[in-house]
Amino acid sequence: MVDLFNNLALGMAVALSLKNLLLCFLGCLVGTLIGVLPGVGPIATITMLLPITFGIDPTGALIMLAGIYYGAQYGGSTTSILVNIPGEATSVVTCLDGHQMAKQGRAGVALGIAAIGSFIAGCVATLVIAALAAPLTRMALLFGPADYFALMVLGLMFAVVLARGSVLKAIAVILVGVLLSTVGTDLESGEERLTFGWSEIADGIDVAVIAMGMFGFAEILRNLESSQTRDVVHAAIGHLLPDRNDMAQSAMPIARGTFLGGLLGLLPGNGAVLGPFASYTLEKKLAKDPSRFGRGAIEGVAGPESANNAGAQTAFIPLLTLGIPPNAVMALMVGAMTIHGIIPGPQIMTKQPNLFWGMIASMWIGNLMLLVINLPLIGVWVRFLKVPYRLMFPSIVLLCCIGIYSVNNSPFDVVMTAGFGFFGYALVKFGFEPAPLLLGFVLGKLMEEKLRQSLVISRGSFMTFIDRPLSGGLLALSLVLVVIAVIPSIRKGREEVFQGAE
Amino acid sequence: MSEVPNRAPSGSFIRSPIDFGGGLFLIAIAGIGYGGAFTLPFGQLSGIGSGLLPKVVSVLVAGFGVLLLVQSLVIPGERLERWSLRGPIYVLSSVVVFAATVRSLGLVVAGPLCFIVAALADRDSRPVEAVISALVATLVCGFLFKELLSLPIPFDVIGVLGPLHGPYEALKASAKALVSGSH
Repeated sequence: MVDLFNNLALGMAVALSLKNLLLCFLGCLVGTLIGVLPGVGPIATITMLLPITFGIDPTGALIMLAGIYYGAQYGGSTTSILVNIPGEATSVVTCLDGHQMAKQGRAGVALGIAAIGSFIAGCVATLVIAALAAPLTRMALLFGPADYFALMVLGLMFAVVLARGSVLKAIAVILVGVLLSTVGTDLESGEERLTFGWSEIADGIDVAVIAMGMFGFAEILRNLESSQTRDVVHAAIGHLLPDRNDMAQSAMPIARGTFLGGLLGLLPGNGAVLGPFASYTLEKKLAKDPSRFGRGAIEGVAGPESANNAGAQTAFIPLLTLGIPPNAVMALMVGAMTIHGIIPGPQIMTKQPNLFWGMIASMWIGNLMLLVINLPLIGVWVRFLKVPYRLMFPSIVLLCCIGIYSVNNSPFDVVMTAGFGFFGYALVKFGFEPAPLLLGFVLGKLMEEKLRQSLVISRGSFMTFIDRPLSGGLLALSLVLVVIAVIPSIRKGREEVFQGAE
Repeated sequence: MSEVPNRAPSGSFIRSPIDFGGGLFLIAIAGIGYGGAFTLPFGQLSGIGSGLLPKVVSVLVAGFGVLLLVQSLVIPGERLERWSLRGPIYVLSSVVVFAATVRSLGLVVAGPLCFIVAALADRDSRPVEAVISALVATLVCGFLFKELLSLPIPFDVIGVLGPLHGPYEALKASAKALVSGSH
């Protein structure tokens, strides 16, 4: 316990330096600004803004990136409530009741409760991260390559179980991600793989290129063809602060949402995405009058928004302690951290305590800042959202181009991003979800490395994965998950969770 | 999912066009993957070759493609959504135009070109409005990324801004002096 407070104090000292405070503020602000753009989710936002962190020292850059991430999350909720265009899967739920509330002239309250719920969830999640970080890191140091491999298999299995829709398609899309990860020079033999002679991809495909294509451009293409016109709320925003009645109604949903979201966020394999859906379903089941849901029930905003933010934050735990990204956003964070010379994993906390605890402390500060930035700025966002989409989307395209060009100063990357844009569009048309692909892409690289290492250590015996209790146990658990995924009754339950929100 | 919203017409041979298409798509990807790794060695278990993973994964992807194809003949599912051409063609061309011009001409030319070509993707776009917004967006981006964030993106390579350049630099210099003077 004493350790925990010492560590947090160290973190605060780092995060409260004037420069880092400024970076955190700037990150939250620009993150929200880009995140508010309709159809631009956290993944596209982070990719677009990644280059602006290049000149900064690693600690500051990570603090800023985390700020961008929360800002993007919050901006996405704002857009969901005001315009009914979710930036990504997790804000779909907020649209349901949030937009209805907005239509009834209660947009202010919806935005207010979203901000308050997110802030509470963020505070709790920060404490959870701080408490779990040290023990998990100690555990991670015991992991050998075989155990890491098994853990990543487990993570991918979770991603399959938690994905929406067809299990077949979920596995397939992850495998495509793994296949993409093999593009580039083989680290051991130096042979070029799947490059088809293009020297530009000899170093592999940048995760930013895939992310921007599949989540930035593909999303624009889909928004362009949806005939439903955007539905910016014209009703008054109303007062921002929820009254006592609203607060009483939201208190328990916020608590339950925080718990559910935080727990699911910890799961390897896209658990954070499930949080809002699970929270919405739970609140609807617990409600005295479930028919209010979908017609502007405040619980339907408070719960899922808290779950969303809690999950968004606890998802950092597997990344920072084990070095394994649990979802697509964190997969992108791996790329971002690598650019700054930081390799995610247990060694961050032991070797760079300043960076580690500074980033965690800044998460709490960032949440506070979002509350402060967003409530007064809501009027600005509303005006911003009234810009017609015919002018908005070319600006987004231009921003994406500048962003992706600046990552490597490479025009080839820009062209490749266009390719992935079309690829992502096609995937969605064929009914695949793009997010697991990004996870498979980043985990694929790590998995191959660990697989080879463990087989070298065991001199080519696959028994090493079963003999070691840790990896054996994790692989057994993965097997159980696969079985669960295909059992019809559980599949039905899983669909209900997602259906409840539709 | 008990109600399929976009159910394909019953009685046809392919009962789930979306899965049928998805299966073919996967098989195509697997084909490209296997082709790209064709000459690479498999290796042994103690020293895995560079070709093992791409080949095994390609075969697995193809396998799932076949499973989806089979499933699409048995289990009814959704129709394939219509693919629009206008959006992808213009938006993706605008990105390629940006890539082709940013180095040689700079953001000052690449930005508006990219914006205008992208704007063509939407039938509702109005020419004058688009051109003006393109210029404004480019200048804002240029100021933001070039001046505030000092990213090394080429801005005005061929000197389009020509006569404006001198006064602008002077303005910038005096602004800088003002900022550093106030410290």
